[in-house]
Amino acid sequence: MAKYVDKDDGIIVVRNLVKMFDRRVVLEGISLALEKGKTTAIIGPSGCGKTVLMKHMIALERPTSGEVYFKGRRIDELNERQLAAIRTQYGFCFQKGALFDSLTVYENIIFPIVQHRKITDWKAIDDLVKNKLAMVGMDGYQEHLPASLSGGQQKRVALARAIALNPEVILYDEPTTGLDPIRSDIINELILKLQRQLQITSIVVTHDMRSAYKIGDRIIMLHDGKVIADGDADHIRNHPHSIVQQFVHGEVNEADLAALRLGGTKFETQYLPEDFE
Amino acid sequence: MVYSMIEPVGEKTIERIGNLGRFSRFFARAAQASLVSCCSPRSYPGIWTQMHLIGVRSVPVVMITGAFVGMVLAIQAYDQLAGMGLEERLGVLINIAVVKELGPVLAAVMLAGRVGGALTAELGTMNVTEQISAVQSMGTDPIKHLVAPRVLACLVLTPFLIIYADLLGILGGYFVSVIQLKINSRAYWDFSAQSVELWDLNMGIVKGFFFGGAIAVISCYKGFTCREGAQGVGQACTEAFVGSFISILALNFIFAVVMKAIYSTFWPIQSLL
Ligand SMILES: Nc1ncnc2c1ncn2[C@@H]1O[C@H](COP(=O)(O)OP(=O)(O)O)[C@@H](O)[C@H]1O
Ligand SMILES: [Mg+2]
Repeated sequence: MAKYVDKDDGIIVVRNLVKMFDRRVVLEGISLALEKGKTTAIIGPSGCGKTVLMKHMIALERPTSGEVYFKGRRIDELNERQLAAIRTQYGFCFQKGALFDSLTVYENIIFPIVQHRKITDWKAIDDLVKNKLAMVGMDGYQEHLPASLSGGQQKRVALARAIALNPEVILYDEPTTGLDPIRSDIINELILKLQRQLQITSIVVTHDMRSAYKIGDRIIMLHDGKVIADGDADHIRNHPHSIVQQFVHGEVNEADLAALRLGGTKFETQYLPEDFE
Repeated sequence: MVYSMIEPVGEKTIERIGNLGRFSRFFARAAQASLVSCCSPRSYPGIWTQMHLIGVRSVPVVMITGAFVGMVLAIQAYDQLAGMGLEERLGVLINIAVVKELGPVLAAVMLAGRVGGALTAELGTMNVTEQISAVQSMGTDPIKHLVAPRVLACLVLTPFLIIYADLLGILGGYFVSVIQLKINSRAYWDFSAQSVELWDLNMGIVKGFFFGGAIAVISCYKGFTCREGAQGVGQACTEAFVGSFISILALNFIFAVVMKAIYSTFWPIQSLL
């Protein structure tokens, strides 16, 4: 599957990316080129390295080997100061929202702005905050502290903060996890709206297939640190690989079930189906 | 067999050295960021907030520590000195001990507990809830934004807090000596003034600068490297306190050795007396 990707093939290009934590390999030679203006969904079971892969795209993690490019420029070797200019072109929505809990919603949203610009016109900033919050349906909550908001509201404010600097790329880490189906659909619609209105390139990590089908122009499945499926929704739906099928249908495989029946707690990796016959 | 015994030792050693390396890099970056923040007025409001949290709120606790140290020294030392008929020199002993050693060290230890714990818990929680990554992802250096103001606030304010501890230690010792133990007030001050030098006082305060820096950098480091979960934060706080505490004692020892050498170079005769 290892096909060659050029650094100019997309707005974000990852080439032969290997990441090890201590001696454990989490990503095992990933090559991807993500197209500008498209929404890519990265799916895969929990703990397969989706977040780690996404963090490499903004250089929050550094590769053990391999390269990461943004707009044709190699970013994995830049130092923190050089990266500052690159990172302002990104918005990152963290899994848990990651709002600053000592700051109000308003202060959270102006944070990236005051960090990078000298503000003279506060009226314009107020309007900008209002505008960004309205986009995620949270206008009027400016003076609230994050702790007083529900999980879904926090994620929406985090989204507003991520678009404060008008980024070209937004990285969403499990934007719908932990939300009820209606709230997660609101988030899906928001992602679609932002992409259509602002022509933003979106990368969405998720293990929610409904959401992946709905928003993904392209869906990439990670398993054991490798890309095992890559294509549009139909391609994934009809993918021949059994692991992909199990994942998209949310089915447990036979080995895990057999282990459960035996009252064991060890899964798949320890048992083979034959062991129980 | 032998191999399996050697392996864990080697592994631990490598891990320790790795940690030391990471801490050194953190220290260097914190020092650099603090220097830069010092010279940029944009970061002053952040430093000011931290000064309030770290410094102002610690005054009572440090003053109480100082006062008790002075008082207990008076009570404990009185009998020994009175036995030799030297009770009027009680002030010398109390004030030298407070100003040179106990004031700075105990004030710093109180700060390690009060401030260090709070810093580690705050930054540790920010770390596990990804707020530190969030700062970084928005193109801001978390060390400059979060660590530098805390380090600067500790550096600047620990010496002042030590002055408070010294002051209360001296007053506490004085009250117990003069009011409870009935030592002549005039004699108490005269003997104290003769033997406590400005050098002693200054050295105690200068130490505060190093202690404050150590507390801040260690606590911030532990917060930044804290592991997930409430347990991770709790453990980071404990480690931060123990680390700061030991560093304070070690720095104090190094300081004593170095200062003694300097003192006897410049004033060789006095040290012979
Ligand atoms: N900083 C880290 N140190 C050590 N291991 C890590 C670190 N970050 C992630 N991992 C490990 O990498 C694996 C992938 O993590 P992650 O990308 O968060 O999974 P997910 O696909 O659920 O987002 C996990 O097993 C996790 O334990
Ligand atoms: Mg994840």
